[in-house]
Amino acid sequence: MSWFLLLLQTSFRNIFSSFLNLVIGLIILVGTFFFVVGGSLVDSIDKGMSRSIIGSVAGNCQVYEASSQDSPAVFESWQIPDLDPIPDFSKIKGPLMSDPNVSAVVPEGINTAIVVYGNTIDQVLEKLRKAVSPGTRQPKAVVDSLKAHVRQMVSVIQTDMGKVNQIAASGSFDPQAGEDLKKASSNEFWGSFDSDPFNHLEFLENKIAYLIPDSDQIFLSYVGTDLDAYQRAFDRMEIVDGQMVPPGHRGMLLSKYDYEEMFKLKSAHRLDQIHEALTEKNKKIAKDPDLQDLVKQNKLQTREIVLQLDPLSSQKAVSILQGTLNSKETDLSKLLSAFFDTDDSNFESRYKVFYDQLASLVELYRLKPGEMLTIKAYTKSGSVDAVNVKIYGTFQFKGLEKSGLAGSESLMDLMSFRDLYGYVTPDKIAETKALEKTAGVSFVSRDQAEADLFGGSSDVEQSQQKAINDKAEMGGGAKVKRVDLTQRVYTQDEIEKGVAMGAAILLKDPSQLKATMKRLQAICDKDNLGLKVIDWQKAAGNLGQFVLALKIILYFATFIIFVVALVIINNAVVMATLQRVREIGTMRAIGAPKSFVLGMVLTETVVLGLVFGALGSALGSGFVMLLNHSGIPAANEFLYFFFSGPRLYPGLSLGSLIGAFIVVLIVTCVSALYPATMATKVSPIEAMASDE
Amino acid sequence: MPKNTEGQDIVSIQNVIKEYHLDKVVVPALRGVSLSVEAGDFLSIVGPSGSGKTTLLNLIGCVDVATSGTVLIDGHDTKSLNDRQLTDLRLNTLGFIFQSFNLVPVLSVFQNVEFPLLLQRKFTKEERAKRVDELLEKVGLDKHTQHRPSELSGGQRQRVAIARALVTRPKIVLADEPTANLDSVTGENIIDLMKEMNRVEKTTFIFSTHDAKVMSHANSVIRLADGKITDGKGAKAGAH
Ligand SMILES: Nc1ncnc2c1ncn2[C@@H]1O[C@H](COP(=O)(O)OP(=O)(O)O)[C@@H](O)[C@H]1O
Ligand SMILES: [Mg+2]
Repeated sequence: MSWFLLLLQTSFRNIFSSFLNLVIGLIILVGTFFFVVGGSLVDSIDKGMSRSIIGSVAGNCQVYEASSQDSPAVFESWQIPDLDPIPDFSKIKGPLMSDPNVSAVVPEGINTAIVVYGNTIDQVLEKLRKAVSPGTRQPKAVVDSLKAHVRQMVSVIQTDMGKVNQIAASGSFDPQAGEDLKKASSNEFWGSFDSDPFNHLEFLENKIAYLIPDSDQIFLSYVGTDLDAYQRAFDRMEIVDGQMVPPGHRGMLLSKYDYEEMFKLKSAHRLDQIHEALTEKNKKIAKDPDLQDLVKQNKLQTREIVLQLDPLSSQKAVSILQGTLNSKETDLSKLLSAFFDTDDSNFESRYKVFYDQLASLVELYRLKPGEMLTIKAYTKSGSVDAVNVKIYGTFQFKGLEKSGLAGSESLMDLMSFRDLYGYVTPDKIAETKALEKTAGVSFVSRDQAEADLFGGSSDVEQSQQKAINDKAEMGGGAKVKRVDLTQRVYTQDEIEKGVAMGAAILLKDPSQLKATMKRLQAICDKDNLGLKVIDWQKAAGNLGQFVLALKIILYFATFIIFVVALVIINNAVVMATLQRVREIGTMRAIGAPKSFVLGMVLTETVVLGLVFGALGSALGSGFVMLLNHSGIPAANEFLYFFFSGPRLYPGLSLGSLIGAFIVVLIVTCVSALYPATMATKVSPIEAMASDE
Repeated sequence: MPKNTEGQDIVSIQNVIKEYHLDKVVVPALRGVSLSVEAGDFLSIVGPSGSGKTTLLNLIGCVDVATSGTVLIDGHDTKSLNDRQLTDLRLNTLGFIFQSFNLVPVLSVFQNVEFPLLLQRKFTKEERAKRVDELLEKVGLDKHTQHRPSELSGGQRQRVAIARALVTRPKIVLADEPTANLDSVTGENIIDLMKEMNRVEKTTFIFSTHDAKVMSHANSVIRLADGKITDGKGAKAGAH
């Protein structure tokens, strides 16, 4: 014992005795510093990400039909996994809820929809048709304003086409289209409008509207779920615009992120992006090519605004812009281009003018809470089905507002989801029967669906749009049915007794995940539910593997660092041992056995390693504390998700401290092994050598 | 010359030849040396540089083995012992004083002297402290127990080394040119100290030197030249 104490004492005294020891110590110090900091960061990201994943869609674990070809991948909306349906959710909920650690079982299914919404001109023509129709007639002033808006749009498209015509070879345009445009812009046409509005409207709808296409096709990813259960289970979810879908109703909540990305006026959304970059990320337009690109797009793409404005609004806009720009220009398009040509000095004032003065003239969002959206989605059989769903509002997850990943999925009620997924619900059977009776056609043929989907040109899109409208409005009976559906209130029983693609399970104590999953799988097997239980990490698909990948990179980097350290330390200890041949020889001569010399070199290196390792760990811990205090800002949208918020506040992880300790122990032991055995071979004769 | 009363040979060397092999050249360091040392002797080995003094002391000190011939230390034939047994012999029967003192630089004076006792593992802390303090007092360093070797003069360092060599109460103490790195006055003091220890502790001392003044303190003298004993009792023994 006293022997070992002497070794320790000698080791401590030897630490600062040689320059080589300092080199070894420094390597270990730096190594442990990075190990502790890196390990803590990765652990914190792990925690942040699991919070993001668990708290938004995945839950702590998920169940799905065991016979499925794929497993759920809740964040991979671009590649919907091939899952077999769970035929009756109500049958699995009870058994799963029986586990004491389960707090909620939420039915879920993910699908991607195609959303097409109409041209601005379609919308204006629709308003005009209503304004002149007997039941919904509007005062003359409103009709005139709408007429003027249509005329303005026609003239915009005429100028556009004229420009293109100058460039393109003559004859490349359908001459009939030119004739139609000329007619639609003529005074005679508008003079005779009031005498026969419906014929005029028909001409505009059939011949003109398709020439002014600004319709968009959007891919919308959504989770079909029991919305009330979902809101209770995922408590980070909050409604931003509009309202929650009333209990038992059909309806959708759009993700706020998607809503801004896809449904906001593009120019406004670009202004928002620039504004955020300038105010929150300290970027400069002058220095950032991405921002310059946004400015350029805003300069070029003014038509979305121009088309929206009726002549009166246009006039207002022109005077606002002339005032702001101090310009005599009268062309709205040119004024807008000049207005959007911003730099770092004038951006904020323009941004303010846009929202304070111009925004009230235009529709900032193409879709507003309370409106219907036609959603087309692939059914299980591969065909396309369409459903009209009311958009009740938008939602986001607290702390993940800026994350596109967290906001990548909108929410839909389970009934509409089942309709779109192609599963025959009682409602659907009744509806189809009614349709067949009145119209004598099947609901939607597959050929039609594919033509709709893969047709490219704008007029095909037009017909596609029409097909949906036709279908929705086909026959009085069917229409009534549709209205009924949006108003209908479903009981909890009706919601739960039916198909689900899977279910998210939330736990009271998340740290018991593994044990709970085991119990749940046992319940599923015992009751023959045919389900498979997977944890959130697996359910998140590749995203869930990200942290694992990060850890592997960290461990691999550490491994490399320590292999290099091992080699260097080994060499340094060899050199240090060679410098001490006389000392070791003396010890051997006066009676120290080989085992003592072996122990001495090992102990010295390990003690050296532990002292500097402790120093490195302490510095690393200090650094992590510092980061914990200040936070690491999420530089981009992805980090936002990984950090589960705008900043990561890394916590010191005990695991990485223990890990550093073990690694230092191993590295020093291994690297000292060779020099230590070498030292045992030092002959006691070395002690006798004289100084020369 | 006065003989040890017991008259027993503590060291007995018969026809020892030691050759060093440098590449293909064979360097003969000892060429047939026979020698007996009685317990309690204060023996000086003298001879010019390169005559084989160190080689002979290494063989007696069990840090090297002879090419041929026998070396008996306290009755043990060193050729028949393994490294562990040789180490034990060095630890328990022998003590060493080196030309360059060879103290452990990071240990204090006290710890340097205590070191062999720790290796022996048979004394309690108190017993060790008692022995070390006694010896340090005898060598006149009781005021310097907590100093580091680097804080001491050469003579003081060699006193520490003497204390270290004696702390295990060995039968034989070997000293290879213990005064070579000291000035003549200090060197003489060191030899006086060794002699005093020899008298009080009855420890056998074998030391080499090429200094005639130092040699004059010895009870018996062996002269080496060219790897052979030319004078002294070894020579007589060899002449038998
Ligand atoms: N390790 C060695 N290798 C080769 N030759 C040696 C070695 N040690 C000593 N010698 C040679 O052996 C002879 C005796 O040396 P040594 O015992 O050191 O003499 P001394 O101590 O009297 O000066 C010398 O010729 C010396 O060169
Ligand atoms: Mg010599």
